[in-house]
Amino acid sequence: MTLTASLAALVPALPFLGAAFGLLLGRRAPGFVRPLAVLPALTSLVLAALVAARQGPGQTTDAAHRLTPTGSVPIDLALSIDGFGAVIAVLVALVATCVQIYSVSYLRDDPRYPSYAAVVNLFTAAMLLVVYTGDLMVLLVGWEVMGICSYFLVGHYWETEAARAASVKAFLVTKLGDVPFLIGVFALAADAHSFRIGDITTTATGGGLHHPTVDALLLLAGVAGKSAQFPLHTWLPDAMAGPTPVSALIHAATMVAAGIYLVARLLPVFTASAAALAVLAAMSAVTMIGSGLAALAQDDIKRVLAYSTIGQLGYMAGALAVGNRDAAMFHLLSHGVFKALLFLSAGVVIHASGTNSLTAMSRMGGLARRVPDAMWTMAIGLAALAAIPPLSGFFSKESVLRAAEHAAAGDTLHVPSAVGWTVLVAGMLTALLTGGYATRLFLLAFRGSGPEAPDHGRQPLPMTGVLWVLAVPAVAFGGLTYRRLPDWLDKVPLGPTLTTAVLGTGLSLVGVLVVLGAWRAVSEARRQVPMGAVVENADADVEPALVEAEAIATHTRVYGDIAAADDPGDPGRLLLGPLHAAAGHGFRLDAAYHTLFVRPVLAAAGLVRFLDRDVVETWVKGAAGAPNLLGAAVRKAQTGNVQTYLSALLAGAVVLAVLVAVGS
Amino acid sequence: MHLVYPAVLASLLFAVGLYGVLARRNAILVLMSVELMLNAVNLDLVAFDRWLSDSLHSGQALTLFTITIAAAEIGLGLAIVLLVYRNRGTADIDRVTGLADPGRPLGGDSGGAPDSDPATDTPDDEKAEATA
Amino acid sequence: MNDTALQYLLAAVLVLPLLGALAALLPPPPGLRGRDPDQAVLRHGVTVTGAVLVLTVVLAAGFDRGHPGRMQATTDVDWIPALRIHLHLGVDGISLPLVVLTALLTFLCALYSYFTMPAGPTPKAFVALLLLLEGGTLASFAVLDLMLFFLAFETVLVPMYFLIARWGGGDRERSALRFIVYTLLGSVIMLLGLLLVGLKAHTFDMVALASDNGSHLSHTTQLVAALAIGIGLAVKTPMWPLHSWLPDAHTAAPTAGSVLLAGVLLKMGTYGLVRIVLPVTPEGIHTFAPYLAAFAVVGIVYGSLACLQLARQGNGGDLKRLVAYSSVGHMGFVLLGIASLTRTGVNGALFANIAHGLITGLLFFLVGALKDRYGTGDLDQLAGRTGAALYGRAPRLGGLLALAAVASLGLPGLAGFWGEMLAMFGSFKPGAGLDRGAYVTFTAVAAFGTLLTAGYLLTVVRRVCMGDRDTATAEPALADVRGYEFAAWTPLAALTVLAGLWPAALLGLTDPAVRSLLGGS
Repeated sequence: MTLTASLAALVPALPFLGAAFGLLLGRRAPGFVRPLAVLPALTSLVLAALVAARQGPGQTTDAAHRLTPTGSVPIDLALSIDGFGAVIAVLVALVATCVQIYSVSYLRDDPRYPSYAAVVNLFTAAMLLVVYTGDLMVLLVGWEVMGICSYFLVGHYWETEAARAASVKAFLVTKLGDVPFLIGVFALAADAHSFRIGDITTTATGGGLHHPTVDALLLLAGVAGKSAQFPLHTWLPDAMAGPTPVSALIHAATMVAAGIYLVARLLPVFTASAAALAVLAAMSAVTMIGSGLAALAQDDIKRVLAYSTIGQLGYMAGALAVGNRDAAMFHLLSHGVFKALLFLSAGVVIHASGTNSLTAMSRMGGLARRVPDAMWTMAIGLAALAAIPPLSGFFSKESVLRAAEHAAAGDTLHVPSAVGWTVLVAGMLTALLTGGYATRLFLLAFRGSGPEAPDHGRQPLPMTGVLWVLAVPAVAFGGLTYRRLPDWLDKVPLGPTLTTAVLGTGLSLVGVLVVLGAWRAVSEARRQVPMGAVVENADADVEPALVEAEAIATHTRVYGDIAAADDPGDPGRLLLGPLHAAAGHGFRLDAAYHTLFVRPVLAAAGLVRFLDRDVVETWVKGAAGAPNLLGAAVRKAQTGNVQTYLSALLAGAVVLAVLVAVGS
Repeated sequence: MHLVYPAVLASLLFAVGLYGVLARRNAILVLMSVELMLNAVNLDLVAFDRWLSDSLHSGQALTLFTITIAAAEIGLGLAIVLLVYRNRGTADIDRVTGLADPGRPLGGDSGGAPDSDPATDTPDDEKAEATA
Repeated sequence: MNDTALQYLLAAVLVLPLLGALAALLPPPPGLRGRDPDQAVLRHGVTVTGAVLVLTVVLAAGFDRGHPGRMQATTDVDWIPALRIHLHLGVDGISLPLVVLTALLTFLCALYSYFTMPAGPTPKAFVALLLLLEGGTLASFAVLDLMLFFLAFETVLVPMYFLIARWGGGDRERSALRFIVYTLLGSVIMLLGLLLVGLKAHTFDMVALASDNGSHLSHTTQLVAALAIGIGLAVKTPMWPLHSWLPDAHTAAPTAGSVLLAGVLLKMGTYGLVRIVLPVTPEGIHTFAPYLAAFAVVGIVYGSLACLQLARQGNGGDLKRLVAYSSVGHMGFVLLGIASLTRTGVNGALFANIAHGLITGLLFFLVGALKDRYGTGDLDQLAGRTGAALYGRAPRLGGLLALAAVASLGLPGLAGFWGEMLAMFGSFKPGAGLDRGAYVTFTAVAAFGTLLTAGYLLTVVRRVCMGDRDTATAEPALADVRGYEFAAWTPLAALTVLAGLWPAALLGLTDPAVRSLLGGS
């Protein structure tokens, strides 16, 4: 195995070891917990960068070791790092390191911090495994381990009902997607006679797949679940019940990106079927527009970012639908950075303001003055989100729109132009919506007016320092790399084109201005109608995680709902009009799923209980009852009367004698 | 004498005994009928032994066995009937059905309870004894 | 290690528990009196089971890993020549893991019972019955003669009956009676099948019959024999709809009894299918495989739905009953793997067998410990309105319960995944001559079953491990994992993780053996 491959093997292994030691020894050696949390992630970052540097653009690193025979298709512990994997791994390691450093302060007094940090490390290891591996079954292992880590991390505040419900929902909705995903993996492996991604893509391009549409659709179910696309996106907004660093790592930069990454690696399977591309495009279009509208109606600052993530993932899915994985990767990298930045600054804001509700923040004064770092970095992040040039979000979003325009013009092989048009139109509309909700977020959070926000202590350096670390690539990454990134990937040009750039940025600015106007229009209502509650804490320097947990636990009690608040001072409410109530509740999809899936399953469970208790039991009792009846019948012959017995004896003797006489 | 005479006599005796065993109600009469059957067999044994001219006289030897066993058996049998009469107040076979199965399904009391009721038995016993 | 040494090792492994059972009934010798006779006999139990475990580990170490398809440590002695019954012992890649698992689980049960003896009559009888049970189960995995297999199969029923009826919880006598009569009925039918095979083929030797591969049996004989033996083993597995003895037996049994019942006894049924029915009556199993697969997937979904119903608030579900129904679901995967008649499927079935033994054994230990601490296994009473908050009250116990639940739902990276995945993969592309469409449907239903499994297990974790802050800080404090519990449970948890990360440890052993078993057909 080459040195690069050995280093690459260490990249997922080190966080895994950190997690193992953390889980086993965390309670016993509290002094080691912080180094055990941060150092593996940091080392992985260095090693991943080293691997990428050693590999260089346009090369791949391959290594394989037989994991186990199965009787038919063996499973290999294979390493297959191309440009995509090398670059994504650096992103994952970077965000993981930032999150671990941030968490040191965020959860500084939390008694469960050791297990939390260990699970974050385990999650990091699983994601790096997904990125680096060349075997689909090993990828599935990492995929699902991420799912369970997400379950444990979202459930970190298990004392709150919201976290208890959200963690189970997150796991079950993604598992609902993973069931068809597994069958899709089986189908691919059966056709290609191998679980290796390289073999599968070769079979796909060679036309060796018997049912490419079915395979692609089955895989898409898993992708929809993991990457929170319509219709399996409902878990992501609720998963905001977990700590903010968790949201930054899992629900912004890494786990949700895994689905996009998988489609990118297996793109030949998808391009082999135009129907699958059309479905992916439709999914991404609905997701983008729906999530944009929903983000305008959310009250919880993190839920706005959650819906924003769903929408941006829709952009990446759209890029994949038009067959351009370079654009998807570019946007993935850029989004990973600025969304993590946004979530982490939101954490600082929640701590400083004592609430996660935008309604309360908009009636609070002096917040921006108290957390200038968070304000500026959030402004940078939101500008990147709204694709304002020259931030990295502009370049990455433009690459997606350029790819869509290319496909719409019919210039992309395998991709029908209708698909391109769907993605292009949806992308443009979403740019408008994105500009809108980004502005709404900033204005409500930082331009509030009213009494002073309560003081919850200094913002610690690890938290604010990390924000600036992430702000740098959020600003510079796009502009500096759009020319060189294609060399690492598929050599498709990623620079912005004039038409799409002007249209996209223009629409985004329109969104910004419309919301600004609406905000001004309702500012009078905001001043007149007091709303909101904040977490008060006697302790001057209280742990941020505690504040957040309290805010989440009380949101429903204060506003009547976990998601939306009926605030007359909300520009989103003004703009959405009659759609506001539906958008605030995710367009009532949860209720629809409850009727379509949950109720029938629960009814079936009740039916099974009836069957087991009454039907199967009757058979068993009957099986016991039949000998009983037989016995009762035979017992009738036991009259106790000797003469009856003797008569029977006589009759038998006569019969025997006759038989003997006749026989002989 | 021709074999047919003792054979027919034995058969008649056996038939009478069989009738008595199966149809009479009094236990002592049943025992007497059993004796009749045994003696019928004895008669047959001696007659056939003579007719076959067996050198070992196995038939007559067996007759002696049978007589002995019959005596022992009647001693025991009468003793039992006497005890039953003392305990139940009746020697009527139709009444002494303590070994019958109660006929209740499994799960009830495992042993069969004696189902004879002394109160109802006594007037019938009088009657049984009269008929006996 | 040379074959003679292995031979004696295996014989010792089988004989030692029986001798230990006899010795437990005798009074303790002067040097080993201990604190009191009860403690002495419990210690004797730990010693004997520990010795057996060491012997099996040595046997496993001496096993030739290069040829797991070959029978090793064999003993072949004529026992009843008139009936052609041999005392034929041996292990190969399929039975060796099961032997080690049995020894391990029995040792852990004995260790656990040493510190927490279940309420009931004298420990002397308890230890003797436990050792007899161990002897019977080890024998059933190590014998290679049909009649001996039947003997061993039956031997385990009586000790288990008494363990449930005398040392169990509520409604123990009825549950024990139901267990033994139901299983005996199945065994009788199985005996008829075994006799049929032995008489028609003129031998009872499993190895000879397997290499014949059914060539000496007519088609009808194979069909009837497969049906008869299959029904008997299906009751033991348990296969839906012959499963209703299991929930009652588990709810009533003491912790050690439940662990052994789920961890070891249930394995005997599926082991019999792989060892006897697959190679000896290939045409028979070929005809019945689709039906077996159908029953298997119904069992998966049915078990999961029953568990879901028990886990919901207000249904008064008992935790042990819930884990019992989950066993029905897990064994459904094993049966599906076998019914696929492919190497992958059978490999998956054997892996799932071992994984289920480890995981469900651990689950029953944990649930038993919960029951001891709370005094009840009723989920509604445990959880209250918002949850029992075990993460707060007894964090290590809560963490272990979460680990066991996550392993049970088949999370990749832990033991449960590989078995289920390979069983489904085998069923996805079934053996020659089987209806592909039906089997793909079965695979889809089984995969849906994994979703339902995740549903109820996470519901249980939510109601038991999570809860309000008030419940988490409630007084009096709940005892966290004690030293002896830690010692009893850690091996199982560690092996679960190990098997999940290194599946080749098991698959490397079973694959060649399965290849030779299915080779002819």
